[in-house]
Amino acid sequence: MVPIFELEDVSLSYELAGGARNVLRNISFTVSDGEILTFCGASGTGKTSLLRIMAGLTRQTGGTANFRGAPIDGPANDVAIVFQDYSNALLQWRTVGRNVALGIERTLKGTELKDRVMDALRLVGLEKNVNDYPWQLSGGMQQRVQIARALALKPSVLLMDEPFAALDAMTKASLQDELLNIRDKTGANIVFITHDIEEAVYLGDRVAVLRGTPSTVEQLFDIALPKPRNQITTRELPEFLALRHQIHDAIGGHS
Amino acid sequence: MKLSPLLRGIGGLLVFVLAWEFLIQSGMIRFQYLPPPSAIAIAFNELIATPTMYAEMMHTIGAALGSWVIAAMIGIVLGAALGLSKSLRTYTMTSIEVLRPLPPVALIPVALLMFGFSLKTELFVIAIPAIWPILVGTMGGVLSTSTRLREVARSLKLHRSEILFKILIPAAAPSVLVGCRLSMSLSLVLAIVVEMIGNPEGLGYAVVREAQALNPNLMFAYIILIGLLGVLFNHFLVVASKILLPGEFRRPNSLMGR
Repeated sequence: MVPIFELEDVSLSYELAGGARNVLRNISFTVSDGEILTFCGASGTGKTSLLRIMAGLTRQTGGTANFRGAPIDGPANDVAIVFQDYSNALLQWRTVGRNVALGIERTLKGTELKDRVMDALRLVGLEKNVNDYPWQLSGGMQQRVQIARALALKPSVLLMDEPFAALDAMTKASLQDELLNIRDKTGANIVFITHDIEEAVYLGDRVAVLRGTPSTVEQLFDIALPKPRNQITTRELPEFLALRHQIHDAIGGHS
Repeated sequence: MKLSPLLRGIGGLLVFVLAWEFLIQSGMIRFQYLPPPSAIAIAFNELIATPTMYAEMMHTIGAALGSWVIAAMIGIVLGAALGLSKSLRTYTMTSIEVLRPLPPVALIPVALLMFGFSLKTELFVIAIPAIWPILVGTMGGVLSTSTRLREVARSLKLHRSEILFKILIPAAAPSVLVGCRLSMSLSLVLAIVVEMIGNPEGLGYAVVREAQALNPNLMFAYIILIGLLGVLFNHFLVVASKILLPGEFRRPNSLMGR
């Protein structure tokens, strides 16, 4: 079976005034159908750059990056991206409903469009806020709107760039569970970037650790924790704590 | 008792007018040609019953609004083009930065030589300076549309026309409208100036005419009329912005203010 993503020996460097800056080197991994792959690493390890390559927003400078067997050449049709900075990513002059409709209103009309928007909003629990403007909502709700906009496309893959990093701990926990729920309901594959080790373990079926400058995949961890996951019990499991420890060491953290 | 902000504002104005009246009636200040507000009010009453005033007012409104519309069309199209094309900016920004600070009044002799005493002179002198706030506002609005929004548009696979009409234009609209508002007050000011020292018509010339006729009551009545027109013009655009950008207007930190 063809993997969803297949990256081989991918590298990325920018030409800057003071010379080239290498961001990524020898990145190789695959994403297979049905899994949540989380990337974890310290800041500045090129996590976002890697996601942008997968999203088709940045082109790698070396190696091959394939999506469903074909080289990535711009944003693909059933791949949706959720950015970290929700307030920049939402159209402040459009209501929640019309933000969610942005990607589908060209192809869908009338009740079909309305139903799809409401379905997406229901998945993130915002069906009552369809007529609000983004600036009337809390940060967590705004990020939900962005997730709903991505889900409205019915994507087979969700690429998420530290989507919960700017949110408080409680909002973050509830959105993590919502995300796992959404995965179960929609069957979407998720590639999730975070610098939060516990989040990476809690959400992931596998965790890839990025390390170094330029960075590469230091280690891949299989997360064999029982499902459905639970914010309290899962996080108390000895396996969870052991993985947290190992990943912490792999990242190269000191504490 | 709670008074609305509007009533309090009017109250402040009333105090100012009463103080003016008092200072003159009591003889504390004395200028030969500074009438008290009561005399100006009487003159104003007579003025609004004078048919020729309406022709003068329509002339000035026509010159200001006509030039403003011309300026808006040129400014928005040119500003959007400049915001979208880097090479266009490279070739034209120098010329624009040279022309923009030029005092508008300097255009009056140029216009008089080109168009004589005519409405064309007024349109020329008003429209050119009125282009700049709109042009700069539109260009800035398009340029400052966040790269994130452009990426969102790309990742949602929006077509080029969709990016223009759904992302760039609405994102730039608040700063375009701010430019339009600045331009509108500038248009009225310039219409009055060019009528005073260029084309002898309209309200601007009327002020000069009454001053030269040593008729300060009527002169002040005309000045008040011009002031009211300015308030009306601004109010018109505020209302238009509210209709055009219902969401933007209520947003905190909005460029549009309240």
